[in-house]
Amino acid sequence: MHAVRTPPRVADGLSAAPARRRRREPTPYLLILPTLLVLAGLLAFPLAYMTELSFKRLTLRDLFTGGAGSWVGVANYSKILHDPFFWTVVVRTIAVAAICVVVSVLSGLLVALLMQRVSGWVRVCMIVSMMLVWALPQLVATQVFTWLVDTDWGVLNWLIDKVVPGVDFTNHSWFIDLWQGWSVIIALVVWGAVPFLAISLYAGLTQVPRELQEAAVVDGAGPWAVFRSVTWPILRPLVVIVTTLSVIWDMGLFTQPYIARASKPELDYYSLAIYAYQEAFAKSNYNTGSAIAVLTVLLMIGVMALYARQMFKIGDAD
Amino acid sequence: MKRRIAVAAAVAATLLGAAACGSSKNTTTSGNPLDGKGKTLKVYLMVDAQTGWKDVVDAASAKFTQATGAAVDVQYQQWANHLTKLDATLAGSDVPDIVELGNTEASKYVFNGAFADLTSKVNTFDNNSTWLTGLSGPCQADGKTYCVPYYAGARVLLYRTDLFQAAGLKAPQSYDDLVAAARKLQSAHASDPKFSAFYLPGKYWYAAMAWVYGAGGSIAAKGGDGKWAGTLESQASEQGLQKWVDLTKTYSKGDPTKDENDQDAVYAQGSSAMLYGNAWESGAVQQVHKDPNDPNSAMVDTKVKGKVATIPLPGLTAGQGMPTFLGGSILGVAAKSGKKDLAAEWIKDFTSTASMTALLAKGVLPNSTALLDQAASVKGLEAAAAAAKNSWFVPNAPGWADVEKSNVLQQMLVDVVTGKKTLDEAARAADAQIASTLNS
Amino acid sequence: MAAPDAAAARTRRVQAVGVGRRRSATVLWNLVGLGFALVMVFPVYWMLSTAFKPANEVQTFTPHLVPQHPTLDNFRSALHAPNFVTDLKNSLIITLFSVLAGLVVGFLGALAIARFRFYGRKAMIAVILVVQMVPFTALLIPLYKTLNGVHWTNSLVGVTVTYLILVLPYTVWMLRGFIVNIPKELDEAALVDGCNRAQTFYRIILPLTGPGLVAAAVYGFIQTWNEFIIINTLNDPAHWNLMAFLASNQTLRGTTWGPLMAGATITSLPVVVFFLIIQRNIATGLTAGAVKG
Repeated sequence: MHAVRTPPRVADGLSAAPARRRRREPTPYLLILPTLLVLAGLLAFPLAYMTELSFKRLTLRDLFTGGAGSWVGVANYSKILHDPFFWTVVVRTIAVAAICVVVSVLSGLLVALLMQRVSGWVRVCMIVSMMLVWALPQLVATQVFTWLVDTDWGVLNWLIDKVVPGVDFTNHSWFIDLWQGWSVIIALVVWGAVPFLAISLYAGLTQVPRELQEAAVVDGAGPWAVFRSVTWPILRPLVVIVTTLSVIWDMGLFTQPYIARASKPELDYYSLAIYAYQEAFAKSNYNTGSAIAVLTVLLMIGVMALYARQMFKIGDAD
Repeated sequence: MKRRIAVAAAVAATLLGAAACGSSKNTTTSGNPLDGKGKTLKVYLMVDAQTGWKDVVDAASAKFTQATGAAVDVQYQQWANHLTKLDATLAGSDVPDIVELGNTEASKYVFNGAFADLTSKVNTFDNNSTWLTGLSGPCQADGKTYCVPYYAGARVLLYRTDLFQAAGLKAPQSYDDLVAAARKLQSAHASDPKFSAFYLPGKYWYAAMAWVYGAGGSIAAKGGDGKWAGTLESQASEQGLQKWVDLTKTYSKGDPTKDENDQDAVYAQGSSAMLYGNAWESGAVQQVHKDPNDPNSAMVDTKVKGKVATIPLPGLTAGQGMPTFLGGSILGVAAKSGKKDLAAEWIKDFTSTASMTALLAKGVLPNSTALLDQAASVKGLEAAAAAAKNSWFVPNAPGWADVEKSNVLQQMLVDVVTGKKTLDEAARAADAQIASTLNS
Repeated sequence: MAAPDAAAARTRRVQAVGVGRRRSATVLWNLVGLGFALVMVFPVYWMLSTAFKPANEVQTFTPHLVPQHPTLDNFRSALHAPNFVTDLKNSLIITLFSVLAGLVVGFLGALAIARFRFYGRKAMIAVILVVQMVPFTALLIPLYKTLNGVHWTNSLVGVTVTYLILVLPYTVWMLRGFIVNIPKELDEAALVDGCNRAQTFYRIILPLTGPGLVAAAVYGFIQTWNEFIIINTLNDPAHWNLMAFLASNQTLRGTTWGPLMAGATITSLPVVVFFLIIQRNIATGLTAGAVKG
């Protein structure tokens, strides 16, 4: 009955021997060379150009006629850093990303735990529904979502009118109030993120040896204690990784608010990525646009640095 | 048959060659600039031409190819984000020879060296002395001409004849008439929660600015010091805006955060009495294509089929129409193009009187006042042709397109209609944005 | 009898924690699970339902949950729309090549980082993380100028290569997790058996990284399949992918929702089928590389 199962393959990794130290071998350099070439060849120049633009004043005329522009030092940065609107957008971007990450990772985890508890056929239903959502292109998903909450054509207003007594949502516009508007956008982000998170975390849960859980229960541990002492330690690295990815994705939030606002976002719906884009392409301020982008990267590195130690441990673990 | 065409082509080529010899004697080394054999013109037109009048484009290209021997590669662009792509393209070296732009977008490119100077060729274009100023104005910079008017559109009032009749109303002759009619219609349909006596979505700035100009106001003005200043906070502008806001808030159930993009679909539902739209929208609200991607597909009637009429929108000043925004497109030759003479030649063919007459039948206005009278006799275009005679246009400032693209005016309107700001606060905020954008 | 009793008691407690199954609880969880599946899938259903609606049913003040007069017109329209088929082909080509290239390059890079210690390794890991944070919307003009310099704008090659940058960092990162988990002893045994280094990589590590390659491929597929801003700027409509096509499916005369949703359905279907087939691999692939710290 309780025959010890073969431990899952990942467990082998835990006992893997430490990497050999071969400092003078050419092999690793040859292996990493293609990666390096791709990144350096394709990203180095645009990145350098972007950084250069952020220290310059390049007018439209320069852009169209091949002019070089002129160096202005940190003028673009000081202009942005002194603009209260920039800080509003920074705070908003971080807040929205934080909410999106927390809500989506938690939902993903809860759904994964739920998947463990339901019957097999229900699990299949859940997986199929999530696969459908996952396969739906982000752009299309956003268009559909926006349409669902539309003032004139939306299903949501119609449903609320039908189901909730005593309210009139007939001509309700979800994007007048920025809290409501962002709630819609956050719901959309979470809805799109849950499949990836839940399916990964569920797969992670299946790696938790049942024997360990059962043993903990026998020792008198409650569900929460089992989760904390048995499940969590095994799941933790995975949660850290999916959280990191979520942070990266949600800090770069662009498509959802941009498309939801019909490519003409109000100032209330600017994220940092949208701000940089609008600054460059709507206002033709390529310099401030670039400066915002550079600041965004720095900001994200700053956010990441909060748990850089953790990241490096994972990136480096062997 | 084939032979006859070949002969005709040979004759044409000979004639052309002969004609060209006379003028190009001195430049035999560089050859005839209009000899386009083996060359291909790259033309960016907007998608409207593809769905609306591709045959006119093809006819002009055929004529051009026959005359010059050059091939034409027309690429149809989508409006969404097309300037983003254009900016990037013009920054590179592989540019299109001819670019279509909305007339409000033009000045950004005209003033910043993106287009070639066409001044010396202006006299060769048909109707150049009677071009609509709303189209030719943005093409001018420092007394030179950088682009050519293509077509225009004017906005008119669409109203439901059946609803007006049922309420015992006639088509409004004055603005007071219009408001009175709206009041009567709104109360007659009080039971319909979606009923708008005058459907106006909040971000419809082409409409709102018509009220501003109708009240004698304006968006921005250039001062004596050469600096631009927003003038939306002026008394006249605010009066006009206030009237638009009153009308919108009282008689429209439109979403204050929407633009006019889906107003035809809303109107087609039958729950709106009046609408401010382009002349062609009168057709669009009454019938939709079964296949929207195929202009030849069967038409499906909407709920308002046969119940819509158009008139010029009555203005705020007694006896005058509301000045209409003269939207439209222009054509420019890229400054980086290596085939500027050929490009100008194609534009000449595409904006000829013959092409413009063909365009009239498609429900758009021609590029010249001389042809407007002709437009007035085309069924469905009467109101638009009349409205176009009294038009307003955005400030002719190099940075205007950026004001538009950064949604300054929409932001102002949304703020006012949703009550986030008072009209004065919103107008002042917009003026500050306009000044900083236009003067940067 | 004492032993079975104890076993039964233990089973009960185990069930109470939810590791085992208790009937009433399972029914409850099943209901929650089904409710979740319904909410998740509704927007997808709405897309499908709209795709089958005739033009005059698509936009109505009172929504029809089920098409009243189902039609295939929208699909016909989407297929006939200018550039749809071309862009579909482009999508497939671009995605295929950028993902494949990403896997090859990424596998080699991951090998280096996972199996060797070398100068600049930590920097490499940092670069791979940071590259994922660059907001590409701000890079459009620099990217355009770079590609224009080598005449790669308006071509599928330029976009494919650009997408490689989107895919590569995550691929390296994910595959690294996999390779680290393959016991070193296997390499060493192979070396002892007379394999050379390259053979070890090819015969031992590559097959064992299989699920990881699948997972990375899926991730790369989603990234490249969904991208529309870069390609919209770099290329003409004839060289777009499907997403750019769908993003611009609006004229001044309003969005054509019916054909748009039909196009979206056509776009999504192959992906769904592909996903369902390799579903098991995705799950193991995503985690096996990660559950390790």
